[in-house]
Amino acid sequence: MESSIHPLAKKTVIYYLMTTSIMLILMMILGVLMLLNQGEMITITPIWFYKIMTAHGIGMVGIAALGGTAIMWYFLSKYIKLNPTIFLLNFTLSLIGVVLIFIAIFGFDFSDAWTFLYPLPAQSAQIYGIVGPLMFLLGVLILGIGYLIMYMYLAKRFIKEYGGLGKTLGWDYIFRGKKGYGPPAAVVASTMVIITNSTAILAGAIVIIGSIINIIYPAIRMDPMLAKHLTYAFGHIFCNATIYMAVIAVYEVLAKYTKRPWKSNKAFLIAWNASTLFTLMIYTHHLLMDFAVPTWMLIIGQVFSYANGLPVMVVTAYGALMIVYRSGIKWDFASSLLFLAMFGWVAGAIPAIIDATIVVNHVMHNTKWVPGHFHTYMGMGVIAMILGFMYYFNKTEGSIKHNRFDTFSISLYFTFFTGIVGSFLYAGSISTPRRWAEHMPEWVLSDQVGAISGIFVVLATTLITVRFFTGLKGVVNQPNSIN
Amino acid sequence: MYQMIALYLTVFFEFLLALAFAFVYGESKRTSKYGPIQEKGYTIRKYYFIALIAVMGIATYLTLDDLPYHSAHAKETASAETQVVEVVGLQYYWEMSEESFTVGDQVEFKVTAKDVTHGFGLYDENLELVAQTQAMPEYENSVYYTFERPGTYKILCLEYCSVGHHVMIKEIVVTPEGGQANGI
Repeated sequence: MESSIHPLAKKTVIYYLMTTSIMLILMMILGVLMLLNQGEMITITPIWFYKIMTAHGIGMVGIAALGGTAIMWYFLSKYIKLNPTIFLLNFTLSLIGVVLIFIAIFGFDFSDAWTFLYPLPAQSAQIYGIVGPLMFLLGVLILGIGYLIMYMYLAKRFIKEYGGLGKTLGWDYIFRGKKGYGPPAAVVASTMVIITNSTAILAGAIVIIGSIINIIYPAIRMDPMLAKHLTYAFGHIFCNATIYMAVIAVYEVLAKYTKRPWKSNKAFLIAWNASTLFTLMIYTHHLLMDFAVPTWMLIIGQVFSYANGLPVMVVTAYGALMIVYRSGIKWDFASSLLFLAMFGWVAGAIPAIIDATIVVNHVMHNTKWVPGHFHTYMGMGVIAMILGFMYYFNKTEGSIKHNRFDTFSISLYFTFFTGIVGSFLYAGSISTPRRWAEHMPEWVLSDQVGAISGIFVVLATTLITVRFFTGLKGVVNQPNSIN
Repeated sequence: MYQMIALYLTVFFEFLLALAFAFVYGESKRTSKYGPIQEKGYTIRKYYFIALIAVMGIATYLTLDDLPYHSAHAKETASAETQVVEVVGLQYYWEMSEESFTVGDQVEFKVTAKDVTHGFGLYDENLELVAQTQAMPEYENSVYYTFERPGTYKILCLEYCSVGHHVMIKEIVVTPEGGQANGI
């Protein structure tokens, strides 16, 4: 069954994408400022460095989630009727959350990183006052509530349309021998995100509410290890979910461009079920250096982090290669970026899997190796998917056409993003710690390479964003044309 | 050692990955029927899947034998009994019950924190991270290390602990057996 997108939803997709693209440039500039400071090319005070770091972290995660959500909603609208008010509500709550977060950071000196590791916010509240931490935590909570409402609504719609989340995960085909193909890829992927990210947000809500109570009534405390588990269950899964939402664009767009179906066969469904399970389990790889955690739990962190690479490597990325192979595909901005994004996803997974090896983690945890892996995954994976979708949206809903200027922007973006992540991974291999405002002389060169690369990435992203906004002019007055 | 292995393995696998994407891109302008491509692709995928499982299985087998969670990790080269050192992390300094060591000392660092979570990162004379564990309030993590080379080692905070995180450094001295470290 194919449907068309509601006009309000289409308008809301534009709000999401406009916010994502503008925030992306601003957050990238913050990232470059940090690298310039570490590379001793400019001077920022430590308090400002850590405020910028906090804003960059939460801001990037926020926009990846916003962009991913726009993709998910847009393509789901092809298959089921959705109430756009929920989509708009999530956007509104996200905006309120973001405003609170940025006021907390820049108005009230909150600088405890986006991971707000308990009891750091309460400790900082004693120095900088309770308003900053409370406002930040409240902002994240409101943002999370927006997503939770949206996921609950989508779950309700899936249950009504398909008969249950087990069915949208293809259990009929996996366990009951049903023949043929499962639900559309967009529905399968969204189900995975609903299950994992709702769990993540609930975990996050518990630790946020616990932290808020602790700040107001210091006598009421949480167990720091429990808080850490909850924080990483939230942070890790929430970040992972951004790519699982964004990859829907790869399934939809590459299938359309190659005129080859990307259907949910049994291997596809098994892969997504495995991803659902593994994504919930593997956050413990963030606690490999917490020796007080039971060893069996940490070994699970290693083994299942390896296993979680399999669905993308064997099914999704391999599927992208197969669908493109000898397809006569027309390469344009959307197809190029979405194809490259699959490279970025796997390229980011490789150093992550290696770092999930306990003996490696023992000498690489919390070095710049970690941002090296997730900048590959986020910048060359999730963000590339979102940028590719932005063009696709303008093309499908408007009239934008690929030109040589776009080819230049994509090349610039990917070439210099490789410079950023290469500098991070190298820095990690020489033991440079992450999240340090000032660096020792031995580490400065890699920061400078990263900073210069970052400047060109900002330039490329600005060019892409200008093209996006220019293309939007053609979208506004066009009739809906999602199919 | 593990840092270099990680870097080279990453470069190697990413090179293979780039080759695969470049090859498919190169072939993308030609056209063939999708049915036979799928058939052949699924066959190749079976072997690819088995190869990945094999690589991951071997890596698991080789690495789970050397976990840093117990004293065996450091015992092989130790020349003496384990020396227990109490370590406490506070914003923004380290308190240690012992700060001078001799080559061959096997040390158990019992690490905790009094205020917020810190990260105990032991760096050798060449600024290479050689061991770490988390320093958490209400918890004690024991990390073992045997000093094999003399010199000035550093303990760096590896878990973000607020605005003085980067100044949370402590130097410890390791002297040669029966002598003094270079420059000390």
